[in-house]
Amino acid sequence: MLFNSLEFFVFLPIVFALYWLIGSKYIKAQNLLIAISSYVFYGWWDWRFLSLILFSSLVDYSIGNALGKTDQKNKRKALLWMSIGVNLGFLGFFKYYNFFIDSLVHSFTFFGQELSINTLNIILPVGISFYTFQTLSYTIDVYNKKLEPTKNFVGFMAFVSFFPQLVAGPIERATNLLPQFSVKRSFNYTKAVDGLRQVLWGLFKKVVIADNCAKYANMIFNNHTEYNGSTLLLGAFFFAFQIYGDFSGYSDIAIGIARLFGFDLKRNFAFPYFSRDIAEFWRRWHISLSTWFRDYLYIPLGGSRGGTKMKVRNTFIIFIVSGFWHGANWTFIVWGALNALYFLPLLLANKNRINTNLVAEGNYLPNLKELGQMGLTFFITLIAWVFFRADNVSHAFSYLQGTFNGSLFTWVEVFPSTILILLAFFLVIEWLGRSYEYAIENVDVMKKPVRWSFYILLIVLMFAFTGEEQQFIYFQF
Amino acid sequence: MKTFLKNIVLLLIIAVIVGEVVVRVTHAMSDIPQRTIDEYGIQKYYPNQDGYWKGGEHKWMINRLGWPGELPKSFDNLVLVIGDSYIENFMNPNECHQSVFLKQHMPNYNFMEAARSGVSLIEAMEINKQLDSLQPSHTLIYVNDYDFFESIVEVKPMSDITQISLKKNEIIHGKMKAPFFKKILYNWKLLYYFYNRFPLNKPSKEEKETILTEEANNKVGLESKDEVFKLIDYIKKSYNIEFLTLVFHPESNPIIVEKCKSAGFNVITLDSSVDSKSWSFDHDSHWTCYGHERAAGQVANALKIVYR
Repeated sequence: MLFNSLEFFVFLPIVFALYWLIGSKYIKAQNLLIAISSYVFYGWWDWRFLSLILFSSLVDYSIGNALGKTDQKNKRKALLWMSIGVNLGFLGFFKYYNFFIDSLVHSFTFFGQELSINTLNIILPVGISFYTFQTLSYTIDVYNKKLEPTKNFVGFMAFVSFFPQLVAGPIERATNLLPQFSVKRSFNYTKAVDGLRQVLWGLFKKVVIADNCAKYANMIFNNHTEYNGSTLLLGAFFFAFQIYGDFSGYSDIAIGIARLFGFDLKRNFAFPYFSRDIAEFWRRWHISLSTWFRDYLYIPLGGSRGGTKMKVRNTFIIFIVSGFWHGANWTFIVWGALNALYFLPLLLANKNRINTNLVAEGNYLPNLKELGQMGLTFFITLIAWVFFRADNVSHAFSYLQGTFNGSLFTWVEVFPSTILILLAFFLVIEWLGRSYEYAIENVDVMKKPVRWSFYILLIVLMFAFTGEEQQFIYFQF
Repeated sequence: MKTFLKNIVLLLIIAVIVGEVVVRVTHAMSDIPQRTIDEYGIQKYYPNQDGYWKGGEHKWMINRLGWPGELPKSFDNLVLVIGDSYIENFMNPNECHQSVFLKQHMPNYNFMEAARSGVSLIEAMEINKQLDSLQPSHTLIYVNDYDFFESIVEVKPMSDITQISLKKNEIIHGKMKAPFFKKILYNWKLLYYFYNRFPLNKPSKEEKETILTEEANNKVGLESKDEVFKLIDYIKKSYNIEFLTLVFHPESNPIIVEKCKSAGFNVITLDSSVDSKSWSFDHDSHWTCYGHERAAGQVANALKIVYR
């Protein structure tokens, strides 16, 4: 079920009404309703994959409890590896099996050997990378004794399958979300209104910004040989806003819906395109995944504490694994590696944490230096996005070759003025709201008629400029 | 909770009102003409309506006889042009109708269109029969493969269009499908907009693939060949086809075209492959103004030979 579908507009009010009719006195019943609703929500795509979530929940619940009963180091380690094996095994099989087989066959062919292993016709379960990492965080935290194992299976099922963030995040930590299933959740007017406002902004980002940019990004990327350099650069620009609007829009909707049910999810995006260097960009983009890799991979590997060699190794590992997490394609690996290359000079020069404050804090406009820094960061991000969007690595190189030549300085062949005006409107709102959790959070201070007029304006823009319905990009990851 | 719900309802009501205004002002949805069924069981439009096509760049009109487009100034030397949504042609302005282009090519004749989206071949024959009182000198019926399949109850039962039951040898007139719901839908533009944006019966990926496979199969062979042939024989036997020409869309099934020819129909087969420019809109199979002009040119050339 997509957030921007008719089914969901029927599903959500029903679940919302039932949830609050049950009331905050009956937490178990509320949790059961969330678990059932989440299974309905997920089963809407393909009910067969429900067994995967159920199995994953059962395994991690049992392993968590087994970890709670033993202090033997070896046994605990074995249990942890069992959880990692089962979860990553599923992920590896469904997401990466064909990629590895293809790569193996290609590498044998490269050395003149014929290898005959067939790929399988596997359907990738929606959001498998997200809930796998979420359940893994539970087992690892229990193993590290940061969290007590839960005895409440229904609550645990609801935590794993929580429908607002099940298929595209934010990837929640068990330490943050799981305890919320054990405490009383009362309806809070301010929180609910704030949640709805974030849903509205998320829908606007998805329906107006992402879906409209997608139309031109797809057109330009799919026929890149027919366009000049400036148009190809514009295509990458549209893709940058497609993926941002799509993914951060989904996160906003997820966080907003969770708030309607009394839950607080982690922030996933913090205006990444206003970053002044790539390190700041990665602190602001897909925060839940970056911090997951930081805490469960980068730090256990030694982080940046060792010598230069270790720093370089760990940086490449974390960025390449992060790229590979996005999909079984060399394009994502190159995208990750490229970001590692961007990041390394800052890390080695110990300048990766110089831009931790808000850009142009207290000012309406950035100064020239900040503007230049933001422009450069956005530009190198744009180049990396080409690899992310391309069908394969040679497509990406061919696209970049077509971009960076004399034709880059000729006028664009595609100029959708309406979309560009909408993007300008969007960027102004985002810039003005950059000190808040999400761009329109501060609308609350406006007087009611002004505030409501703004909401209506957003709704009307959604009516008028809705792009062709596209599935959320991150569902495939 | 009460305040929350009250505010949501209020905001939604305001949004619906503003949304309705915006959809109407921007013509985000086309105006849809109201239909009726006449005394002969023919579905047509209420006379003298007009409205905007999507985007509001041009208007469509229904003439006093209840058919789209303008009526000819005179009914002398009349040629009837019957067809489905291609001839109804709401997506183009009036000056891009077949009758207008045909008149430019053959100024001595007057052309009148009688078209409605979804018309089947058998329904087109019934319309032609009812318009006999205008004493046309000739009739052109624009057809594609589906008009044949959709004419036969046993092949593709459709309650809202006129069909023939080959088993019972009986014409079954179409009924209005959900007229009350349609009336609400077409007048409440915002609802119609959402209905189009989020279709309730959107075909699944598998269904789309099945349709494409069927279409591909029909290009090489012919599904329901016996029924289609029986239909052609029935029409030949039951209607006067002497002054009638079937105008086949480009890429029509050659088996159907050949059968019609051998049954004695005058046939014109349109060919869009001779043009480097497409006849159709980018996201709509209907013809653009250019497509209509080219189609009319080919029809006029063929008609001139018939009239020679």
